Amino acid sequence: MSSLKRVQQWATFARIWHIYDASWQNPFQSAGLLKKYLMGTYKPIYHPLNDCGDHVVVINSGDIALPGDEWKKRVYFHHTGYPRGASWTLAWQLHKKDPTLVLKKAVYNSMDGNLQRRYTMERLHIYPDANVPADIMKNISNQLATPREVPKRLDHYSEKEVEEFPKIMDYPKNYILR
Amino acid sequence: MVFTTAVNFIRSRGPDEFWRKRKIFKLAAHFQGRKRNCYSITIRYVHRALVYATKGRKLKKVDMANLWEQRILSGCEQHGVTYPLFKESLSRSGVMLNRKTLADLACWEPQSFKALTDIAQARAAQDGLNVSKSLEPPSGVVTRGMIK
Repeated sequence: MSSLKRVQQWATFARIWHIYDASWQNPFQSAGLLKKYLMGTYKPIYHPLNDCGDHVVVINSGDIALPGDEWKKRVYFHHTGYPRGASWTLAWQLHKKDPTLVLKKAVYNSMDGNLQRRYTMERLHIYPDANVPADIMKNISNQLATPREVPKRLDHYSEKEVEEFPKIMDYPKNYILR
Repeated sequence: MVFTTAVNFIRSRGPDEFWRKRKIFKLAAHFQGRKRNCYSITIRYVHRALVYATKGRKLKKVDMANLWEQRILSGCEQHGVTYPLFKESLSRSGVMLNRKTLADLACWEPQSFKALTDIAQARAAQDGLNVSKSLEPPSGVVTRGMIK
């Protein structure tokens, strides 16, 4: 094997570390995206027995956005195995307990249940905020594009921008804004 | 039959129960525990294994087709072409490669596969297929439509 081929081999099979900013992203939509990188199905060399999955570091998982009223309606079921051991946890309660779990479960459930799933999940590193340990941060070489644009909140616009925003008309002086 | 041992010669005389069972035991040689040693249990598991083998011959083809699709899809994604557009443009251009060959090219010949996606993009731009994501056709691709 020539040295060029050797390097090509390394480059082909090297694990890449991706970073993904989860703020304002739908975790269930993100799960489909992250799954692709964790399992390596985005590479043409993919094979179920070929260990070509990458690492994904997810930051700001505390700021995910669930669609509609899913925070109130989505329920996570757990059973201890003992009689009356069933428990149902709402998404907002789970998120309060551990801000990484909603995203983690979304990714876990998006994958087929096979022996490889738990090892694939080991390559997913989720952090509730932007504080990532330096030894993980130094590996990262790629940033994944987020499917949604992060909306800008009204109180994050400067007063000048709000003032200069084009409007159809001014309210009359005696109009009472509720 | 040629018997190398006297034991097998004796067994070849009487009713053929031993040989009938041995055919089944041979198929169960790689099973574990009583599945390979007790005939009544062995025959059940051998039947099941043969059914799996019959179904598996179909499933193997399905699995391979799924793998090819996956590989072509990821190859297309890398070059910004959607899979339906890629197939449609290639068939319009008269590139009659099957999915197995396309998958092999995506895996082993990435440069050739990129040339195919370039052809597909150029063809899509020329035919005005509105599914095209790319804004302009890649340079260096000449199609029949351009020559006219």
